Amino acid sequence: MDYGLTQEQEQLREEVRRFAENEIAPVADEYDREEKYPAEIVEKAAEMGLTGAHFPMEYGGVGYSTLDMALVTEELFAVDPGIGLCVTSAGFGAEAIMEFGTEEQKEEYLPPIAEGEAVMGAAISEPHAGSDVSSLSTRAEKDGDEWVVNGSKMWITNGSIGDYFVVMCETDPDVGDRYTGFSQLLIERDRDGFESEKITGKLGIRASDTAELRFDDVRVPEENLVGQRGMGFPQLMQFFDETRTMVAAQAVGIAKGANERALEYAEEREQFGRPISEFQAIRHKLSEMHTRTEAARQLTYKSAWSVDNAEDDLTMLASMAKEFASDVATDAADEAVQIHGGAGFVDDFDVERLYRDAKITQIYEGTTEIQKNIVARELLDEGY
Amino acid sequence: MKVLVTVKEVAAVEDDFEIDGLSIDDRYLEYDLNEWDDYAVEAAVQIAEAADEDVEVVAATIGPERSEETIRMALAKGADRAVRVWDDAIADQTLLDVNAKASVFEQVVAEEEPDLVLTGVQAADDALGATGVALANRVGYQWAAVVNDLDYAAGDDVATVRRELEGGVEEITEVDLPAVLSIQTGINEPRYASLRGIRQAQQKEIAPHDLSDLGLDAETVDGALELTDMYEPESESDATIFEGGAEETATELANVLRDKGVVGE
Repeated sequence: MDYGLTQEQEQLREEVRRFAENEIAPVADEYDREEKYPAEIVEKAAEMGLTGAHFPMEYGGVGYSTLDMALVTEELFAVDPGIGLCVTSAGFGAEAIMEFGTEEQKEEYLPPIAEGEAVMGAAISEPHAGSDVSSLSTRAEKDGDEWVVNGSKMWITNGSIGDYFVVMCETDPDVGDRYTGFSQLLIERDRDGFESEKITGKLGIRASDTAELRFDDVRVPEENLVGQRGMGFPQLMQFFDETRTMVAAQAVGIAKGANERALEYAEEREQFGRPISEFQAIRHKLSEMHTRTEAARQLTYKSAWSVDNAEDDLTMLASMAKEFASDVATDAADEAVQIHGGAGFVDDFDVERLYRDAKITQIYEGTTEIQKNIVARELLDEGY
Repeated sequence: MKVLVTVKEVAAVEDDFEIDGLSIDDRYLEYDLNEWDDYAVEAAVQIAEAADEDVEVVAATIGPERSEETIRMALAKGADRAVRVWDDAIADQTLLDVNAKASVFEQVVAEEEPDLVLTGVQAADDALGATGVALANRVGYQWAAVVNDLDYAAGDDVATVRRELEGGVEEITEVDLPAVLSIQTGINEPRYASLRGIRQAQQKEIAPHDLSDLGLDAETVDGALELTDMYEPESESDATIFEGGAEETATELANVLRDKGVVGE
């Protein structure tokens, strides 16, 4: 058992933090307020290699492990979750291409993400299919050597700015089993019949682009099928452990950011003639926030390590990490605002932004309630 | 061709710290690559990247083993390898003076035979600002100090540099190679180490040398300077707030600036 990060990981963390402090922190408020996608920052992040770091070398990446990616995510989210998500989500859906795509698909779709020339997305949720993913109704029908896609997708990260999407479609509605019959298709924005509408008014992560996608007789060639026909769900589920671990890392980052800001403010703010960090009520808050964050971090790192090294308890660990860390993040952001008092209730200090941003970690990639169901299901050995 | 860049790991204190005798405890310090050296590394890497021929960029430092973590960032940003000099005799010095540093780097230059040596103008900790020029004098290279613009392509015999002089005056001058240039901040925009660069840097060589490896003895680093005291200078500030319309306050401000000697009569 080894509990330390390598020198490389320490350097990675420091340099990512330096990037976030210099390039993201000064403009985070502006992008949040205006709900604006930070294309220039994502480009700079790509120059540094942040957008496709987990891709293999031959496709423009660095081959970073899940733990490395968790460290990167944590540092970006500690500074600003909104823009942090824009950077880490540039390759959403790429896992499916890496694992199940053809050589041609990998060569065509992965390097542009790593080089900052394209952004992609994964399209699963629909207006009537959130947690119940098996009720999806976007259809893809075979017509000669093309797929014809009809339907709509909801809450799609990078939806109005992304260049291509891995879209979960029902291809074989007649099969009996509720988890087979779906396939993953690559759909490019410039196809006729593709429309997107940006969703505004989000509580948090407002710099990140979210949209509804609509497909009206969108035709794509049959070679846009990713992996096997009818195996969309089994292919997708393989990455839930990884993507949930990444949300846990986001949450650890948000908690870390909240803790740092709370500690700094408590040392500076004076009441009754001394810094409020001298009052026991504040000291206990700081102590608890940091302790719980460290616990969430260790659970997250173990889950990340398990993705690459030990798959046995991975599904349970990933759900535990995601569920616990997202609670810690929302609590830490809440306490950080409390410690700031009135100053935390306005946007002079960015704990207000973190407070709003934290909530999403309890919702996306499977709600807290779904994660608890998964943990129980794994404990009781019930299978899917 | 070969470019040698001298780099230094410097410590910065946190907002609150305590001085203990002649030193500050490690828990109050954060170590980082000297800011000026970051620009010097970038200048060297840019020369290498723009070159048609092979350009080797070698970073040289005087520092303990701990400094390898910092020096590796120079490697992550594109330097090819590094040389690190350390010795008990160096560790024993309270303050390594310019002569001692120049003696060490003189031997590194003799060993590496670079065509161009880039140093930072100064180090953020001791701020002596003389190592580059002293080194040039020792090795008999041409030199230019406080360079804030550099026009040089690998293989050329002459570098065109713009340097900062006193009083806001700048000069443009030509320097024959081999040369030592001390690089000012702002000359370029230092890159972030790329994730690929950080990974590759783990495999790059940081060759350790002690004084005897360089043919030097312990007395070489005995300097004329000794650190005798360390204290925090008292700082004073006062603020004057002008009230009223723009015209009167502008006049008041102008008077103050004239009194303080910021602007001439």
